[in-house]
Amino acid sequence: MNLLKKVAILFVSFSFVAVSTTSAKEFAPKKPIELIIMAGQGGGADEIARLVQGVAEKNDFTSKPLIPINKPGGSGGEALQYVKAKSGDQHTILITLNSFFTTPQNQKELDINILEDYTPLARLLTDTFMVWIKKDGAKTSGINTLDEFLARAKQGDLVMGGTGKMSEDELLLGMMRSMFGFDAKYVPYSGGGAVAKGLIGDESDFTLNNPSEQMGFYQSGDSKALVMMTPKRNPAFPEVPSSHELGYPDLEYYMMRAFVAPADIGAEATKYYTGVLHDVYMNAEFQKFNIDDGKLLSWIEGYGLSDFFAVEYDKHTEIVAAFN
Amino acid sequence: METFYLLMNGIGTALVPFNLALLIFGCLIGLFVGAMPGLGSVNGVAILIPITFIVPPTAAIIFLAAVYYGAMYGGAISSIMLGIPGASTAVATVFDGRPLAQKGEAITGLTAAAVGSFVGGTVSVILFTLFAPPLAKVALAFNAPETFALMVMAFATFVGLGGDDIPKTCFSILIGLVLSTIGLDLISGKPRLIFFDIPGFLHGVNFLVLAIGIYGIGEMLWTLETTKGAVKISSISFTFKDVVLSVKKLKGTMMAMTIGSFLGFFVGILPAAGATPAALMAYGITKQLSKNSAEFGKGAVAGVVAPECANNSASTGSMLPMLTLGIPGSPTTAILLGGMILWGLTPGPLLFTQEPEFVWGLIGSLYIANFFALILNVALIPAFIMVLRVPFAILAPVIFVLCVTGGYAPTQSIHDVWLMLLFGVAGYILRKLDYPVAPAVLSIVLGPLAEKAMRQSLIISDGSFNIFLDFTIKPIAATIMYIALIFLFLPLINILKNQLFPKKA
Repeated sequence: MNLLKKVAILFVSFSFVAVSTTSAKEFAPKKPIELIIMAGQGGGADEIARLVQGVAEKNDFTSKPLIPINKPGGSGGEALQYVKAKSGDQHTILITLNSFFTTPQNQKELDINILEDYTPLARLLTDTFMVWIKKDGAKTSGINTLDEFLARAKQGDLVMGGTGKMSEDELLLGMMRSMFGFDAKYVPYSGGGAVAKGLIGDESDFTLNNPSEQMGFYQSGDSKALVMMTPKRNPAFPEVPSSHELGYPDLEYYMMRAFVAPADIGAEATKYYTGVLHDVYMNAEFQKFNIDDGKLLSWIEGYGLSDFFAVEYDKHTEIVAAFN
Repeated sequence: METFYLLMNGIGTALVPFNLALLIFGCLIGLFVGAMPGLGSVNGVAILIPITFIVPPTAAIIFLAAVYYGAMYGGAISSIMLGIPGASTAVATVFDGRPLAQKGEAITGLTAAAVGSFVGGTVSVILFTLFAPPLAKVALAFNAPETFALMVMAFATFVGLGGDDIPKTCFSILIGLVLSTIGLDLISGKPRLIFFDIPGFLHGVNFLVLAIGIYGIGEMLWTLETTKGAVKISSISFTFKDVVLSVKKLKGTMMAMTIGSFLGFFVGILPAAGATPAALMAYGITKQLSKNSAEFGKGAVAGVVAPECANNSASTGSMLPMLTLGIPGSPTTAILLGGMILWGLTPGPLLFTQEPEFVWGLIGSLYIANFFALILNVALIPAFIMVLRVPFAILAPVIFVLCVTGGYAPTQSIHDVWLMLLFGVAGYILRKLDYPVAPAVLSIVLGPLAEKAMRQSLIISDGSFNIFLDFTIKPIAATIMYIALIFLFLPLINILKNQLFPKKA
């Protein structure tokens, strides 16, 4: 009898402990959160990181501040290594772009496995690419459609400005090369803004900029867009045709803006950060800014994001292999 | 006339009490951020961006521009008083500012920096007001070959920088160039010179790590050796008469002011250059053209005025491509640009017509910010001078801590702190052997810019160097290149002349 009582008390108290520990599991950050950016200041990823920070701060979505830190070294390799080494750290998140897929392949020595070394949180946006020429470019004046451009490009003397060796736009040039059979000289610049300026300053003949990078010159009529590499037209560029309607459905490419955390941060912290990002994503200001900027709102989280990473990684393996 | 009307409106906007309060507050923060080694205008502006979401865009940019501006003034303070560059833009200020302070003329140095900053800032904002749209076209025409020619000119002026010992100067330049190639290759994306596979080298050698090491740690070791740790207190009395007297000493620096202001502005409007190269180039060219070039590096007032004029002038200049082309002219304007986009503005050719209140509010605020930064700076000179009364035994550890934080802050990696200490020891040894170190600092700043511009040009020209030398291909680039070659051979010709026709002693 006595023993039974003891066991019962023990059992009840155990279940209390169990209940109290589960409620204590609800995660809240205890110190400022490092927001690592695997690209330089002033670029596309940096812009989104600071937008997320601004919206989160303004609306008190996080109880502790987000501190953006740029680690652009090694095409993002430095940032990837930094976050990988922080396994289990619940106060670090990383904003990624497509170099998340290409950098580990180009720099095998980093020894990075994107599916195991990071916890996927959420993808907020995808950015697209467009073919841009200058309005009265020396070699491209009078060209108004993608087909006219391709015919001209086949002469083989055009110069393309881009954001660096093995970056998204050079891989894209490689795709176009095998698709359309033209080649161009590739000149690397530092960042999409400098690429856009090189086009308007007559140093290059065409670029594959993101919409936002050419927005200013597009609105002033200095640059022309020939195609948007998506299935449908974009509301921010109503008169620019999509690659699908021009009959080139294979000419489709996106730049993702997704967030990951270090590995092994636990389910509760993962849920917390995904929730914060979802709050930011649903914010009206955040949505309006990105729609005006020509970006696509494209939320996925959890397993959906892991699957997306796996598919994109394989796709980039093919693109990189084809390029080499 | 329309410009004048718009400008007056802009100044009016900046003088609205709320905006004015933000402006003065911004200048103060900027002074502090600039004076703290490791915290530069880039970090200052980046940290403060979120605060600006709660005020209207015009007030926000006025605030951030004031921080940017204040930091240009503030950087000079630690450069002169402690011999550590407070901000990357103030590296060239150390070259002569520190020796001035050691000669007991700290007040002259600080006044020269403040007045130089004011002159540079004012000249540039006037140029900005009058010629912004046509200058935007100049910035567009300035591509890779032109940039490379300009960099060659900067290197050429520095051959004469290390006194008359040209081989030692060239050695120092080459060391800097080697250090600048560490990290990721700009064009191919492949890692270069990653010693012992240490990942910290992947982000390259930040030039502040080199500058703080050489000037902060190296200088401290030097002082320890020369004073044997003896406690030395310089008692400097301070009256405003001293300030007035030191203003008089600036009379002979008209040329430095002109070169600093115009060259600084011009380098500032070139995308991706910014205030640090501008200040270094202004220093080099002023020294080359000065009659007393032997005094440079030993406490020449003109050697403080030129870079301080140039860094303020360039900071205004770098706003021009940001506003008119949407391309940042410096790292700080890259952050400002991000801010503008978040405030819902599209920088670019249409900004001037679509958002006149914003653009002219910013320009107006630059005039006002310049004025207040000068007043604040001069008023605070007595406080800065207090540093000199601190015994070396107390000051040295403080400097050491500032150096460590300054080495850590830009990249937040402890690897850079070790590197900084290593450079400190190396700098001390080089100094003992009488090698000039300023050229190494210059080449680690300009090396990557020059390398990238050269390789871009050579890709475009299919490897032909004629792209730099042929007037029919790139007239601007060729002109600058030939001027650079003249600068390069000038000291050699002088040496030859002295050899062939020795002066009678």
